[in-house]
Amino acid sequence: MADRAMTQRATTGHALSPIALWGLLGAVAALLFAWRVSMQSPTAPTSDGAGLDRVILLYSTLPRAAVAVLAGAVLGLSGLLLQRVLRNPLAEPSTLGISAGAQLAMTAASVYAPFLMERSQGPVAFAGGIAAVLLVLSLTWRRGLEPVSVVLAGMMVALTASSISAALILANGDYLFSLFIWGGGSLVQQDWGPAIALSTRLAVGAGAALLLLRPLTILGLDDASARSLGIARHTSRFLIIALAVWMATTVVAEVGVIGFVGLAAPALATLSGARTLRQKLLAAPLIGAILLWLTDGLVQLAAGAGGERIPTGAGTALLGGPVLLWLLRRLRLLEWPNLSTSGTSPRKSGRSIILLLFLMTLLAAVVALVVGRGPAGWSIAGGDILADLVAWRAPRIGVAAAAGAMLAAAGLVIQRITGNPLASPEVLGVGTGAGAGLTAVLALSATAGPGLQLVGSILGSLAVLIAMLIIAARAKFGSERLLLAGIAMSALCSAVITAAIAMGNTQSYVLLRWLSGSTSQATGFDAWLTLACLILLTLPLFLAARWLDILPLGEDTARGLGLPVAGGRLTLIVLAAILTALAAMFVGPLSFVGLIAPHLARLIGFTRARPHLAGAVLTGALLMIVSDWLSRMVAFPYELPVGLIASLLGGPYLVHLLAKGMPRHG
Amino acid sequence: MNSLSRAMNNLPRATNHPPNRRQVLALAATAMLPIAARAASLRVAAIDWGMLETLLALGIEPVAATELIQFRKLAVEPEVPRSVTDLGLRGTPNYELLRIVAPDLVAISSFYEYQRPMLERIAPVFAQTVYEPGTPPYPLAEAATLALGEKLGRQAEAKRYVDETAVETTRLRAILPAAAGRPVFVISLGDSRHFRAFGRDSMFGDVLLRLGLENAWADVTRYSAAAPVGLEALARVPDASILVVSPLPADVGRSLPENALWNALPAVREGRVALLEPINHFGCLPSARRFARLVSAALAGQTHG
Repeated sequence: MADRAMTQRATTGHALSPIALWGLLGAVAALLFAWRVSMQSPTAPTSDGAGLDRVILLYSTLPRAAVAVLAGAVLGLSGLLLQRVLRNPLAEPSTLGISAGAQLAMTAASVYAPFLMERSQGPVAFAGGIAAVLLVLSLTWRRGLEPVSVVLAGMMVALTASSISAALILANGDYLFSLFIWGGGSLVQQDWGPAIALSTRLAVGAGAALLLLRPLTILGLDDASARSLGIARHTSRFLIIALAVWMATTVVAEVGVIGFVGLAAPALATLSGARTLRQKLLAAPLIGAILLWLTDGLVQLAAGAGGERIPTGAGTALLGGPVLLWLLRRLRLLEWPNLSTSGTSPRKSGRSIILLLFLMTLLAAVVALVVGRGPAGWSIAGGDILADLVAWRAPRIGVAAAAGAMLAAAGLVIQRITGNPLASPEVLGVGTGAGAGLTAVLALSATAGPGLQLVGSILGSLAVLIAMLIIAARAKFGSERLLLAGIAMSALCSAVITAAIAMGNTQSYVLLRWLSGSTSQATGFDAWLTLACLILLTLPLFLAARWLDILPLGEDTARGLGLPVAGGRLTLIVLAAILTALAAMFVGPLSFVGLIAPHLARLIGFTRARPHLAGAVLTGALLMIVSDWLSRMVAFPYELPVGLIASLLGGPYLVHLLAKGMPRHG
Repeated sequence: MNSLSRAMNNLPRATNHPPNRRQVLALAATAMLPIAARAASLRVAAIDWGMLETLLALGIEPVAATELIQFRKLAVEPEVPRSVTDLGLRGTPNYELLRIVAPDLVAISSFYEYQRPMLERIAPVFAQTVYEPGTPPYPLAEAATLALGEKLGRQAEAKRYVDETAVETTRLRAILPAAAGRPVFVISLGDSRHFRAFGRDSMFGDVLLRLGLENAWADVTRYSAAAPVGLEALARVPDASILVVSPLPADVGRSLPENALWNALPAVREGRVALLEPINHFGCLPSARRFARLVSAALAGQTHG
């Protein structure tokens, strides 16, 4: 009898352990909150200050905790609904472009229609979010909303939207500084308005989710079963998506973009043992609430008198990132067929296309060299004026071309090593890893020279890349899992950089300049140096083309073909890390050329490694030359960050190609 | 091809003569841009806004400067003549355009030291340090003004401007109402929940002291200001007045009056809040003067109603 009780307790104890974990984390958050309250409870009830303490407690401390809990729950629920309806474990407000779309709508409204922002911030944010998600869904409709395509399109839409937001702010002459400092995601409160708004969203959302339990359960199955069970699939799908968007955009409108919770909470709910939909509907919002509350408590703990070091919205990545990375191996995901070989037929005339690309790149360089704007308008330079301008334009073109080519080569290597078409230096956080390395170097020595800065960047990107591949190698990692890890890692590194920038010292300006990326300070020496590095680093890749062909086929095949798998992989990784860090020194980490260029080359029809590499490198160089030229021309005499233009240029094109070019498979 | 040759014909005709390249560019520039009023003095370009306002205050019209659209909105005075060429963003000025303008001197501050190698390819660089973490900037701004005057042969004007500014500050200090003896927060609003506080090592903080006022923000700053700080920090000094430097972000006009904590602040309840017109945050003496004038007007207004 006692024995049986023991075993029973043991089993229930085992089943309860995730709940205990979350209970513990929730208790820590509550303790932090209690400490905060005790700091502010009136001690000397006679003075005027005590009355103010009460006001602060009532209108600042308490609503802040409420908003943390509510926003976390709302994001967790929103993420869960989206993941369920789209049958996509990576879907959430950020990866679908909802947050970025809402932010763009709000930025545009405050620039062009301030009265809209004064009256109806919420509807403006919702309009932006729903437009973004509709765009993503319509672009991937023909592919049957296949998860990887949806997330790729979503990330592209998000990237483009945030680039346009940044461009709008810059074009109005405000510094990038304000963009980062006031970027949102701060939970500071001064009344109960946002808390009330969020609690109604949560109540409506939870109520609707419970009413829709049956359709939600069925929509989690595949289309055929859903159809045979008689659900009006598209209508209910769309309604649930609209509900999720409404909830998520309210958070954006009230407190700004909060990363990671929408993605992590449902995943962590599953990991913690929530099996049925009903359990998940309870667990995901709860976990989201605990995550955000705890993060906010820690952010306030770290805050000094001069303000918070880091907005809570970025802090979630510092906490949630490692948690998700650690738990990822245990996360059960449905794996979808790889995109890598889909939809392209090998070209017969690869050589002539490479020649054509080369000529186009050359033409772009020449045009960028001679065509420009001056005080008198457009002009084509020639003779003495050209000779004079070449000294200014050629280094920029050279550096841009080399950086684009390097990112493309790095992207191709990473995509081939991981066998994952969505992997790239940007997506896996290798570029932001370079930034984290740079941050570390600057923290150690404020006066670190360019050489030391570069070494730091390389080590940073190398560390991230190796970490990603170790995670990938363990426990047979699928593409989704790697991307999840990449998003977590990228968010983690960005949070480190954001925190360093928020310090507001000299190093912050170095980081800020690095982040926005500009070829404007490029000298002739820089150009020759980067071009030499490009040749030096990509030549081995061309020679190792056989490895690049074989590695995607899997380790066993590679070993069977007599490839030194470990050594080969390590060499390629080191090359990719150096390429990424070098390129990021000039164009920043956010251009997405490393993702786009290999894709474009593949869509053109290059499948074998060597021509694919040549095509990608040329495409990358071409993209970056054109971007650099446009960044100087679009708002003359104002020069915009080149990475921003590159993502504006490449993002929509890739999305367009995805929508129309690649046929459905599997 | 046709449009190409047409564009070639539109090139400045100067290119057909082969004289020296620098001359050609200067010629092209004069054809396109009105010449500075005093042709005798050096042609100066300003990357730093503080240098720009100092140049104008000394009666020197720069040939080019950065971010003029924002300068006219955010720094307001001295007025920048339409003939000054806009070089684009301060962080990434348009070097090609600066090359065409071909100044004799480029004035920067230590913020823009990293641009020096590029700028020196165009003209000699004149750099001054006004803002250093932890150092009150007013004396450094005085020194920078005198140094600029020296460099451009305007010693007398520079000396006069420094003296006038000091006299003006003393005069304003004398007429400040006695009721203005309270500490003062000087802030700008980032959104409806956060502000930027100007500390001791900001120009605003330094001028407050010179006006005999106490800066209510005694805490640390990072590069002259602390940001973003939640509005509740304003409650730390209950008897302080609050001066808000314009502009306000779009949604603040609506949401601030609804902000419960803001409304509970003693300064707000008792009408000790004033909105100042925009002033350059990282300015030199002209900004200091503008700030002193606006502050004393605002505080005088408060005591009257």
